[in-house]
Formats: sequence, structure tokens, C-alpha cells
Amino acid sequence: MQDAITTLINSSDVQGKYLDESSLENLQSYFRSGDLRARAAMSISASTSTIVTKTVAKALLYTDITGPGGNMYTCRRYAACIRDMEYFLRYATYAMLAGDPSILDERVLNGLKETYNSLGVPVGATVRSVQAMKDVVNEMLGADAGREMGVYFDHICSGLS
Amino acid sequence: MSIITQAIANADREARYLSRGELNTIGHFFGDGQERLRIASILTNNVESIIEKGSQRFWQRCAVTPSNSGNSTFQASCLRDQGWFIRLISYAVVVGDIDPLQASGVRGAKEMYRSLEIPLRNVAECMRCLKEVTLELLSLEDAAEVAPYFDYLIQGLMP
Repeated sequence: MQDAITTLINSSDVQGKYLDESSLENLQSYFRSGDLRARAAMSISASTSTIVTKTVAKALLYTDITGPGGNMYTCRRYAACIRDMEYFLRYATYAMLAGDPSILDERVLNGLKETYNSLGVPVGATVRSVQAMKDVVNEMLGADAGREMGVYFDHICSGLS
Repeated sequence: MSIITQAIANADREARYLSRGELNTIGHFFGDGQERLRIASILTNNVESIIEKGSQRFWQRCAVTPSNSGNSTFQASCLRDQGWFIRLISYAVVVGDIDPLQASGVRGAKEMYRSLEIPLRNVAECMRCLKEVTLELLSLEDAAEVAPYFDYLIQGLMP
């Protein structure tokens, strides 16, 4: 797992370089955004279930997926779906704090598409609901923090599609 | 690992969000970030003079050592390695953790110098000289931030 700092250090180390001007500027802006990131993480952790409820209502609830024959039909599958939504939210929040997507690659996306395919979970609907979660979080946190979280929701989507 | 990835790894092990206390700690780390970058820049901008003064001091104390034997390859490698260690220390200062120093500088270093037949006692002494000249360059507060990384390095190179 990497964050914005360790990623820059690792790539400089491989080249045997000191942290150059542009790396230092990147780190400065990361440090400056720290307060925003910590506050966003706190708001999200205080309202995870609201976020998931709104996300499901927005993207899934009133579609065929929740009816008989749909992939969220029977409560068992519905529960598995909201559990995964909670995972996405928590890991996106970790990545936002770290300022780096590697935790998503390592702990969420690695093998996820294959797992979903073998379980018959529709990837398209998953991507749609992650996008809906991005909108919900954006509305809740405001544009600055919303944009930062959006980067990692988009990362999940591109890793799935 | 930085304090940030560490806190995330701990939270993930318990499948939970970061606690308020953990977020506060990270908040302080972010707040001190500019200071750490400033100190790292001082090291970066002065690396040549640190190495020059450090190696002079080293050769005064350890006159009989491969890098002072008149072999220019040995001497150049010694100066190059000093630059590497200062670089790793500047990384450690930025991330606020020994991790880069440990991963790229200390792990395996003893074995490497032993196999190159460079006396470890002298390598450690060289690092001690680098520490001294670096700290002389810094204010008391900045020196207190940097010194522990040198100490870790010296410990890691002691025979």
C-alpha cells in the first residue's frame, strides 16, 4: 500500500534522485489538502449507511435488478450488494486519505471483475451504482472533497470495466 | 510506510473507518508536512558540502581506510555512497519514518560492505561524521528532527 508521499519517494529512489521541485510541490499541495481529507473521512464515516441507502435508491432500487430474476432479488443478494457498496465506500475513503489509488488496486480491484463474472454479478450495474455513490458523496461533502473522492470512485469503475 | 498508510492498514485489519484520534494524528502529520519538506530541502541543497566536509573529517579520524588509500575508484564509491545515505535520510525526513532508510539503506548493508571488504567500523564512523557536519548546518529544532535517522543508520551499520 502506498500514499502520495511513499509513491514519490519510491520513484525517486529507483532513479537515485533527490525529491525534485515538482515532487516537492506535489507533496506541499498534498499536505495542504490534509485538513480537507481528514474532515471528509470523518463526515463519511459518520454517515456510511445514509450514503449507501441513497446510492441504492438512486441507481438500483427502482430497476429490474431488485425484482424476481434480478441480481439483487432475494434479500440475501440485496444484502451482499449493500455490503459491497460499503466496501467500495470505505476503501475509496482510505485511498482519498492516502492520496493514492494503490490500496484500491491491491485490496479491492485485484480479481474483483473475475469474481463478479463468475458469480454472475452484473458489472454494468455495479459501475452505475459506484457512479451514483460518487454523486451522493459529492452532494454531501461539497465540491472540493467530492472531487477528491470522485477520483477514487472513478478508479474503481475503470478497474471494473 | 508513512503514518498515513500505517493508520489505514490498522483500520482495514478491523474493517473500520479511521477513528477521530487517528485522523487527528494524521492531521498533525499533514500540518508539520511543510516543515519536513523544508528540512529535506536543506539537506538536498547542501549535499555536496555535507559530503565534502564529512569525508574530510572521516579521513582525519580513519586515515587507514580503502577510500583514503589513494585508489580513486574506492574514493569515488565512498563519496557516492555518502550521497546515497544523505538522500535516503532526506526521504525519511519527508515521510517522517525510518522506512525508506531501512528498505534501501540498512537492510543488507552490513553484508554488502563485508563482502566488499570495507571495514564496517569505518563505514559507521563515516556516517557519524556525516551526522556531525549535517547537524552543524541545521538549527537546533531541525537537527532534532534529523538526528534520529542518522542514529538509526549508524546503529544499522555497526559491526
